[in-house]
Amino acid sequence: MGQMMGSYSAREVDLYMDDKPTFDHQAGFQFERKQREMVAQEEHLVSAMIPPKYRDYCSHHLLEYQVCRYKNMPMLYRCAHEKHNYLNCEHQDYVLRMKEFERERRLRLRENRLVGAA
Amino acid sequence: MASVLIKKALFSKTNALQKTVGIICNATRNHWNFQYKPGPYPKTPAEREAAAKKYGLTVEEYQPFPEDMGYGDYPNLPDIGAESKDPHYPYDNAELKRNFNEPYHVNAEILGEDRYNISFKPRISVMEQWCWFLGVIGGSIALYYYMEDYKFGRPVTAKQYPQDGPHYSFSSQ
Repeated sequence: MGQMMGSYSAREVDLYMDDKPTFDHQAGFQFERKQREMVAQEEHLVSAMIPPKYRDYCSHHLLEYQVCRYKNMPMLYRCAHEKHNYLNCEHQDYVLRMKEFERERRLRLRENRLVGAA
Repeated sequence: MASVLIKKALFSKTNALQKTVGIICNATRNHWNFQYKPGPYPKTPAEREAAAKKYGLTVEEYQPFPEDMGYGDYPNLPDIGAESKDPHYPYDNAELKRNFNEPYHVNAEILGEDRYNISFKPRISVMEQWCWFLGVIGGSIALYYYMEDYKFGRPVTAKQYPQDGPHYSFSSQ
């Protein structure tokens, strides 16, 4: 419920789930933001037959996890750490998206406020 | 006593015995014999009375089918399914809810408890059934179209893929 209400109030600034950020990435920041880097190489992902849907910034963890599964096939409990790393990474990715959403919402509110004041 | 009867049947009424055996065999093999055939359509009151007596009914109860239906003098019994009959009445044959010598309905083979209840009484009328159905389905559809403008989502931006251009984390270098 709380998660839903989070996007409910964003409707006032015409912001919905899975929208893309529209402001400059540095807007409102004092420091230089670090660019996210893709660790895994595309050829490796293709070779491991990881679907495009999963070729995100966490795919090097997924690749590690899949390699581990391949090596220890029946004893999958041995890949618990790899799996944990991957899921943690995906969690952080999601948190980042939530942060971007909130930032976008606040920047839009600020813009509306400035336009109203002018 | 019994042996006398059997002897009599075997020796003095040979023809009758053969006929009876023939009828029974034919009935069990072919499920029909000429004696199952109803009599001709009763036209006079006397014939009606005779037919009613034959089927174990009173003259008031007895009602033949129209002549052109070809059922002869077979009685047109009320359409009551076995399921609608009183389950607490002490029937002679409780499994079929039938009494001894009770005449069979013309469609008796589908009116059993295991098949079809011709006198089924619905709990609510057909009109009420349609009202409920259209109310529920129509209400759901109306709610769906009304809610189209009020969609909820999780508060996240689109998933970031490396090919969609540079993305930035919330930390410094």
